Amino acid sequence: MDGKGQESGPRGILVLYFFIGFTISVIIGWIIFPKLLYSQKKQPIDFNHALHVESVAEGCESCHFFREDGSFSGIPKLAQCIECHESAMGENPEEAKFVEEYVAKGIEVPWLSYSRQPDCVFFSHAAHIKMAELECKICHGPIGESEHSRIYEENRLTGYSRDIWGKNIAGIKQNSWDRMKMDDCAECHADMGGGRKDACFVCHK
Amino acid sequence: MKIDRRGFLSLGVGAAAGIVVTPLPWKLTDDLSIWTQNWPWTPVPADGEKAYAKSVCSLCPGGCGISVRKVEDRAIKIEGIEGHPVNDGGICILGLSGLQTLYGPTRVKQPLMRSGNRGEGRWQKVDWDTALAEITKRLAEIRKAGQAHTVACVAGSDQGTVPQLLKRFLAAYGSSNFIRTPSIRDSYELAFKTMQGSEASAGFDLFNSDFVLSFGSGVIEGWGSPVYMFRANSELRGKGKIVQIEPRLSNTAAKSDKWVPINPGTEAVLALGLAHEIIKESLYNKEFVEKYAAGFESWEDAKGQKQKGFKDWVLENYWPASVANITGVKPAVIHELAVSFAKASKPVALCGRGQGNTPVSLFESMAIHALNALVGNINQKGGISAVPFADYINWPKAPADAVAEAGLQQPRIDGAQSDPFASRYLLNRVVNAAESGKPYALQALLVWEADPIYTLSGSAAVKAAFDKIPFVVSFSSHMNETAQYADLILPDHFYLERYQDIPTPLGMAVPSISLSRPVVKPQFDTKYTGDVLIQVAKGIGGNLAEAMPWKDYEQCLKETLGDHWDKLNAKGMLIAEQYQPPAWDKAFKTASGKFEFCALTAIGETVSIEGDKESYPLTLIPYDSMRLANGFIGDPPFVIKTVSDRILKKKDIFVEINPETAKQYGLADGKSAVLETPRGSARVRVNVFEGIVPGVIAMPRGLGHKAYDKFLAGKGLNVNEFIGSVEDPVSGLDAAWGIRAKLTIA
Amino acid sequence: MKNEQGHHKTGKKYGMVIDLDKCTGCGACMVACMAENNVPFKEDETNKLDNIMWMRVYRMSNGKPFPDADICYIPRPCMHCEAKHGHSPCVSVCPATATDYSHETGIVSQIYTRCFGCRYCMAACPYHARYFNWWDPVWPEGMKNYLSPDVSPRMRGVVEKCSFCFHRYQLAKDKALTAGHREIEESAYQTACTQACPAGAITFGDLDNPKHAVYKLKHDPRAFRLLERLGTNPKVYYVTDREWVRWMADNYQDQEQKAKG
Repeated sequence: MDGKGQESGPRGILVLYFFIGFTISVIIGWIIFPKLLYSQKKQPIDFNHALHVESVAEGCESCHFFREDGSFSGIPKLAQCIECHESAMGENPEEAKFVEEYVAKGIEVPWLSYSRQPDCVFFSHAAHIKMAELECKICHGPIGESEHSRIYEENRLTGYSRDIWGKNIAGIKQNSWDRMKMDDCAECHADMGGGRKDACFVCHK
Repeated sequence: MKIDRRGFLSLGVGAAAGIVVTPLPWKLTDDLSIWTQNWPWTPVPADGEKAYAKSVCSLCPGGCGISVRKVEDRAIKIEGIEGHPVNDGGICILGLSGLQTLYGPTRVKQPLMRSGNRGEGRWQKVDWDTALAEITKRLAEIRKAGQAHTVACVAGSDQGTVPQLLKRFLAAYGSSNFIRTPSIRDSYELAFKTMQGSEASAGFDLFNSDFVLSFGSGVIEGWGSPVYMFRANSELRGKGKIVQIEPRLSNTAAKSDKWVPINPGTEAVLALGLAHEIIKESLYNKEFVEKYAAGFESWEDAKGQKQKGFKDWVLENYWPASVANITGVKPAVIHELAVSFAKASKPVALCGRGQGNTPVSLFESMAIHALNALVGNINQKGGISAVPFADYINWPKAPADAVAEAGLQQPRIDGAQSDPFASRYLLNRVVNAAESGKPYALQALLVWEADPIYTLSGSAAVKAAFDKIPFVVSFSSHMNETAQYADLILPDHFYLERYQDIPTPLGMAVPSISLSRPVVKPQFDTKYTGDVLIQVAKGIGGNLAEAMPWKDYEQCLKETLGDHWDKLNAKGMLIAEQYQPPAWDKAFKTASGKFEFCALTAIGETVSIEGDKESYPLTLIPYDSMRLANGFIGDPPFVIKTVSDRILKKKDIFVEINPETAKQYGLADGKSAVLETPRGSARVRVNVFEGIVPGVIAMPRGLGHKAYDKFLAGKGLNVNEFIGSVEDPVSGLDAAWGIRAKLTIA
Repeated sequence: MKNEQGHHKTGKKYGMVIDLDKCTGCGACMVACMAENNVPFKEDETNKLDNIMWMRVYRMSNGKPFPDADICYIPRPCMHCEAKHGHSPCVSVCPATATDYSHETGIVSQIYTRCFGCRYCMAACPYHARYFNWWDPVWPEGMKNYLSPDVSPRMRGVVEKCSFCFHRYQLAKDKALTAGHREIEESAYQTACTQACPAGAITFGDLDNPKHAVYKLKHDPRAFRLLERLGTNPKVYYVTDREWVRWMADNYQDQEQKAKG
């Protein structure tokens, strides 16, 4: 009898220990780990996409255009910004900062690219936009509607932007633009190609 | 609360179970695998906007059009321009590697003043003001002491604005000692001068030939304008024949329709043996020989003395049997070759061994040129023509003050241009003159786009001569042997960073001008040599400043090119498309107004090489390869990487010998041996090769560098160190084609 | 499993025809390739077993004594084999799917980040066209400046090989798409070696397209392929007048040669 009573106490404690360990891990895994894994960086200038989209004629391609050789220009260079912002156009302090620190000094803005893929990836914007006629949004989300630049989170181990793995640390996605991992490319490519795999070289270099 | 062992385990199990239901392990595994794919030391080249910058390559006198691919400010690849008259998209191995030198560690990044002993490699970095002040001071002192004529300049070319500025600077300074580095150009120019009376360089219309008779010329080994010749060689396939006469089965020989092995140095004799057969069979071009040539038939001179003509001279002296004896080419082969050459509709004979980086004796170049005359293929389609030098530089004569006039009265240090048969430039004699101090001691030497310490034969003697010159200035943009041995280096912009006018590419039959344009901005603290000259002239002042009135070199170039400037900037190359070589009745500016065969009969025999047969039973000859640059620039890492392990293994150089020779001296393939010549000895390895005449040792040119980087320096031997200079008594040129040698088991 | 993807009639078959009589052995193709593809180099490159050269020019000799000796150069890129099973010997053996056969272009790929360096493919390749990075690449001071962003520099421990400059295909495709058409012109996609060859010895294009120059050239009666008897069905053809070269290229034994000819 005694022995049984003595046993029930430690067993309860053991269960308690189990749950303590379990809980700590869950907290570490879901809350602390993501905070440790990613460093946070601010964009050099708080950029208002919504405002720009309103005032340009050709939507995204007004600034993010295709060059004549078929390559994609990506984030605009200073020279392109200067076409409009040689001097400040409005009252916005961020614009003033941009003109003062970059335009006046002729220094390129060190923008942080949310969707930069690793060097081993060959991504053709032409194939997706010109051939498959996808909308920018499918991969980049409604960034054109944003009024402020998000905090850029960089994976301390890989150096990639958090957007590649996705905001959700579990990797669960709701929208097509929530993740930009190889599996996400493959998912779409499998759908398009009727289940056939593309050659590795199509996306890798 | 005390945790016992079981409690601790329980905590651990709980923790493990907890972790598994979080994304941590899966995410971490993924990240770690990505981490191992991105080592920080593996570079990730930055992407950006691509553009192509067009220019002209000036690493050799070939004049290829290049298109440099750039990503933003970085040049990433050099390619040939499609449709370019010289190279039509093709490009050579050295031209492809230009960016390795542009960005690499062999560049001279700022002016350097020697701080250690000569050649020790210890330098003091100085700024341009200090460097310019130094050269100005030294040159002003020499001039003040009445020694202006003791300053000389060595340049890789004598055409174009930079060489002409150097020449002009010297003239205003008071020296006539502008000297071009020796090459087959000298031999051709001299042959043209003596036989045709023209000051011109040689052009070849190989694209339209149908029989190319090459006396050792490496048509596909960098002879002439390399890529142009490669294209001609491909074009000739199926349309014409190439016969290669050479002691060694070179690439050109292997690709030719027929390889005729010959004893080295006997090419001129074979040429005259062929002439014998052509004359005997009466296969020569009667129209040309009878109407437009002089000295073919024997004649009576003004005094009534009988003079022997070329015909009788050849018929008496060059019987196939005796020619065969000397050359090792069988009489039947000589006959067959002569007949097929003469019967071809557009035959042409070429001269200059390998890449033509060394001159041949005047006797040899004239004998071979006589063959072209016999078949009448001078200034004709598919033949050889005398291409006039570019005429766009029309500066007024440099003003001379009393010092300059006195200096220009002095004889040239090399005695060049002293008689009709003497070459225009004799760098080989500068070595002796500097060494002996006769006719006078050299006080200063300026070196532009040349590396005499590496490229001249008898390197030890060249170095010793340099030791006697108190002030050596190099303008080299990279650290070659001569730069390493200089007192002051004033680095020029590299060819991809500058404007430069380039005259007719070597061997092209139509005159042209090309313009190199900057592809990238200067990467280091370098300066146009033209600017240095202008500034030094201004520093010394007086007539020198007057002679160099330009603000800077770019202004000088722009003004000199005049109307051409804009066109050249747009097109890169301007060709005199209307140009036709003059017809035979107007082509020859000799005393007789005809092609003069008699010039050849008037001079002596072939040049024999250094060393006696008793002590040195074998003959060492150098050979050239596209994969071994051997001029003022050496192999960049990419190029040396392509060199065969039968030429270079670790740091050992291989020499080629015939199996018969190997057997005779007990040498085995791949084994070490000691090579000895009158100029020195060294350990080599043996490559037993069926494609070489017995008794001959062949060593590649282009190895054995002491300057440059770890990729090139210290690998193999420089064949020039083992060969002594042998002066052609007629032209004064160094016509050494080899040296006596022996090879013994190591 | 990989050969399940093997039935795409619409695909192209890029290949090369090399005229060995025009080839001068100058080595421009080798350097054009190295410069185009960020191929590294090291201090001593005379051990040809460990030097990386996607395009290698071999020197062949007819073995005859002086003066009948003859030599010939034979440039050897990756052959991009398409054997009976639909791909090449290397693809079959790769445990990591780091190399695969593209039925769109007929090009055998090599994905460096996927490769873990077992080198089975090197053992399987009868042409020695694959190279292993025994060391991390090191570029001397300043030389990183010329690296091209189109080709990833490799790290130690992976295999690399000729890709027929696949990135040029990609870029040509981008250009065509942006200009509004899908077909890539013959001249728009050429390998670096083809472009550089000063002798014009290399021709590149779609072997199945009658409009491309290679189509006609590969049907030349003098055309042959390397080690054809192995059944690897390479996409690189050679042309020469020299019979001894053709014999040697298929590695016939002496007695066979006697029996045959």
